[in-house]
Amino acid sequence: MAELTYRDAVAAGIAQEMARDERVVFLGEDVASAGGVFKATVGLLEKFGPKRVRDCPISEQAIIGAAMGAAMTGLRPIAEIMFSDFLAVCWDMVANEIAKTRYMTNGQIALPLVIRTANGAGSRFGAQHSQAVENWAMAVPGLKVVAPATPADVKGLIAAAVRDPDPVIVFEQKSLYSTKGEVPDGEHVDQLGKAKVLRSGKDCTVVALALMVHRALEAAEILEKEHGIACTVVDLRSLVPLDTQTLLAETAKTGRLVTIEENPRLCGWGAEIASIVADECFWDLDGPVVRITTPHVPLPSADQLEDNTLPSVARIVREIREKID
Amino acid sequence: MKRKKAAAGGEDIGRETRLELYRLQLELRYCEKRAYDLFLQNLVKGTSHLSLGQEAIAAAFGVAMRSDDWTFCTYRGHAHTLARGASMAGVLGELMGRQCGLLGGKGGSMHLTDVSKGAMGSYAIIGAHLPVAAGAAWSAQYRGTEQVAVCFFGDGTTNIGAFHEALNFAAVWKLPVVYVCENNLYMEYTAIHTVTAVDHPAADRAAAYGLESVIVDGNDADEVYRAAVQYMDRARKGGGPALIEAKTYRHSGHSRADPAKYRPEGELEKWLEHDPIKLYRERLAKLGVAEATLKDIETDAMRKVDEATAAAKASPVPALDGIERNVWADGGAAWRN
Amino acid sequence: MPQLGETVAEGTVTRWYKKVGDAVRADEALFDVETDKVSTEIPAPASGVLSEILVVEGATAKVGARLAVISESAQAAQAAAPAQAAAAAIPAERAPEAPPDRRGTAGAAGRLSPVVSRLIAEHGLNPSELRGTGRDGRITREDVLAHVARRAQPPAASRQPPVASLADAEVAPLNSVRKRTAEHMAKAWAAVPHVLQVVEVDFSKVDEARRAAGAPWKAREGFSLTYLPFIAWAVTRALGSHPRLNASFGGDHLVLHRRVNLGIAVDLGLDGLLVPVVKDAAAKSPAELARAIHDLAGRARAGKLKPDDVTECTYTITNNGAYGTLITAPIISPPQVAILSTDAVRKRVVVIATDQGDTIAVRAVGMLAQTFDHRAVDGAYAAAFLNEVKTTIESRDWAQELAGDSEG
Repeated sequence: MAELTYRDAVAAGIAQEMARDERVVFLGEDVASAGGVFKATVGLLEKFGPKRVRDCPISEQAIIGAAMGAAMTGLRPIAEIMFSDFLAVCWDMVANEIAKTRYMTNGQIALPLVIRTANGAGSRFGAQHSQAVENWAMAVPGLKVVAPATPADVKGLIAAAVRDPDPVIVFEQKSLYSTKGEVPDGEHVDQLGKAKVLRSGKDCTVVALALMVHRALEAAEILEKEHGIACTVVDLRSLVPLDTQTLLAETAKTGRLVTIEENPRLCGWGAEIASIVADECFWDLDGPVVRITTPHVPLPSADQLEDNTLPSVARIVREIREKID
Repeated sequence: MKRKKAAAGGEDIGRETRLELYRLQLELRYCEKRAYDLFLQNLVKGTSHLSLGQEAIAAAFGVAMRSDDWTFCTYRGHAHTLARGASMAGVLGELMGRQCGLLGGKGGSMHLTDVSKGAMGSYAIIGAHLPVAAGAAWSAQYRGTEQVAVCFFGDGTTNIGAFHEALNFAAVWKLPVVYVCENNLYMEYTAIHTVTAVDHPAADRAAAYGLESVIVDGNDADEVYRAAVQYMDRARKGGGPALIEAKTYRHSGHSRADPAKYRPEGELEKWLEHDPIKLYRERLAKLGVAEATLKDIETDAMRKVDEATAAAKASPVPALDGIERNVWADGGAAWRN
Repeated sequence: MPQLGETVAEGTVTRWYKKVGDAVRADEALFDVETDKVSTEIPAPASGVLSEILVVEGATAKVGARLAVISESAQAAQAAAPAQAAAAAIPAERAPEAPPDRRGTAGAAGRLSPVVSRLIAEHGLNPSELRGTGRDGRITREDVLAHVARRAQPPAASRQPPVASLADAEVAPLNSVRKRTAEHMAKAWAAVPHVLQVVEVDFSKVDEARRAAGAPWKAREGFSLTYLPFIAWAVTRALGSHPRLNASFGGDHLVLHRRVNLGIAVDLGLDGLLVPVVKDAAAKSPAELARAIHDLAGRARAGKLKPDDVTECTYTITNNGAYGTLITAPIISPPQVAILSTDAVRKRVVVIATDQGDTIAVRAVGMLAQTFDHRAVDGAYAAAFLNEVKTTIESRDWAQELAGDSEG
């Protein structure tokens, strides 16, 4: 085990896969000589050279389109979209082309590619550089979607995404880049579609993703120590495929479900989770499903405003106390 | 930017190649006409966009391309897909929503694909396939395979962002891709000159991205063939991308729904005089090809279309279990465990 | 909550004398209150109908808090209740930005959560017996489980029988299969009222067919023809005319399955039991059932079952005959509503009634024992089913069935 930052774990994951497989290439804006605007890809150009690590013009459609063309002809590209907000600029490529091509061609075309992108709030960047948009991708059939919360997971899930035969979008939470955590030594490959139970408690099951996992854990600690409410905390990690088995089993154990989402309220991923639980786990529920989300507003920029828009530890504690008997 | 004139003698293109060009143009013409007939019989549903009048371009590239080169085409892609050797029954079957369709009925007219023949898809969102073709070219460049990606699109595409992103990207990475604009004068229902300030919507812009370009008579298969050979060869050898703007004309409307009433009187008639197949037949006759040989090619082409039609009609409709197949590489559609 | 002494801030309601919906006369005893100073009976302040109890027995409320609502009449009670309840239910320390409380009427008589209603139905409880410890007296899942555990405990005197010394014993830890089995069995036994019925069946006709077809069968198929496929065939037939035994119990309803998916319990020694399922068993001939059962049992023992092989069971057969048992009373696997045990078939002397009078004969006889869920059906229905199984086994021309192979 070595302690790595989340950003170094990103580079380590990409490097691990590039070293293993010559077909893996990496492209994006400012990713090569500059090492990425979040410094998450430092050293890759030096290690693998300009043929495999390529700086691109500010052309999101060209970047994703090129990744698609390369993937269907035998490469396994990793494309970076600097901020997940910019996915809107190339959403045709992602949602109309990449997601649908295998299906429309009845399996003739395979697209083993990865799109990595910095997602979510916490950096005071305002409404066009802070959105959590993993739910957009989740809504499109044909895309796999993961959102790791820790350095170990980001490395392992990037590796799993590269090896997966289908297109995978990896949503990296940008305010986690500087966080540290233990990462297994040597080759580390995780599994898509597996949630992790991080903490077990009898009163309530809390399901969270990415940045919100850390807040959920902190809130669970306070709830247990100060209020005697014992929470199970599940890091969903992957939205597609979705680990409904873990979700349903953990919800059934406590009879209560709380989702903590960075997505704005309407159609955030928690809405789908709530629907699945209501449908398949109803007779195990001991109270209504609770969704703690960002309100349905574009994200404001100032410290005070942003902090009070995202679900905070204090808000999570308060809402769980109020809503769980 | 260069302008090409049809070589008067045409000794540079061999007799066999010319006969092949004629055969292919005829097959494309007959097949598109058959598609229209089937539509009138209510056997083809949805929309479809015919290439009637534009066959010379698809045919010329079909003959000029190496079998492992890649074609990327638009929703007006029946001809380009057939020109790579895709099964005609597979194309008509797909239009008719039959199991034998190239895509098993899951794509339809606008997404014809046959990877086994290098037809890497028909893309129905304007401009989307230009970057994709660049990506395929990048893959060829990376692996050193000397394959070339050829990307067809219409004049309307030149005003969408992806066109501009792709041209710059291809030029700056020196990718082996040939962009082919089929300028048929109308973006959809609107004349291209009313929405574009430059005379040659594709070629005039290519220069801005450092892309070599040429304008050819898209109704002259020989002229298109020469440009195709020249620029694919150049790209194959590392000379980078190029753009060919082929001037042509659509005999029918934009799609099934379009009677093309917006065209000025006499325009269609003028272009019918310059029809690629009429022009090519006259040239072959002048070059000494016997009338009987031409007749044989015509008969064979019609028979091929008839056989394909019969095969497509005989094919069953797709099995319903296909609905949840092939979303993922494992063949299924599961999004959960 | 009345002020019972100047220094008293709160009181605990220890008893209500009236239920919601009861008529109340002014000055009639309504409830008991206990404070740290006094324990006293409080009379009703007005006449009317007790339309709502807001503080249940055992709950504590601040002085001045609303404890119950007395309406002028029953009709008025209904109309007034929601508004009053909403007014009474807003907790004091709610955060300013929190949305208004939209929960319906709270309190012991309020709605039950899904899991609580399910558990109450499964354990056959009456909600009014339960004490709610949740907010506003809501009955929680914990409350039901605690109640069930209390009820299940034997009287204190006999609780701890003397245990043999561990000195001359060894502890055998349970593996996870055993633990799961233990959990399932205990849960099923506790939740389902089991009733056992047994019929004695004459297997002579089956024996005839086995004698005639057994050797070629073994040569052709590679395994012996046992009694089980014949019994299974008779069971699928009888389930067709007794659909309420091919069913799932759902608390307030039965789900009658259209398909007969027959589970066959397979013993894996210390690794517990597996119940692979013959899907659509009703469409199979005895020969097809024999093959399917042989295949599933073999794969179960080899650990080669697919997930799909053990799902959607609608009725189970457990076969203990190999060990010579006379009768086994099996435990039902809920939500299924019945299970059949087949025990040893052996030669017996039986009395047979003929036109010439009673006579004694040696016949192959075995017991078929079925336990059924008495919540789902009654004894006569289950017995009629067993009788049909018996009649089929005793009267069918099995040689013909085997010859027809796929004839159903």
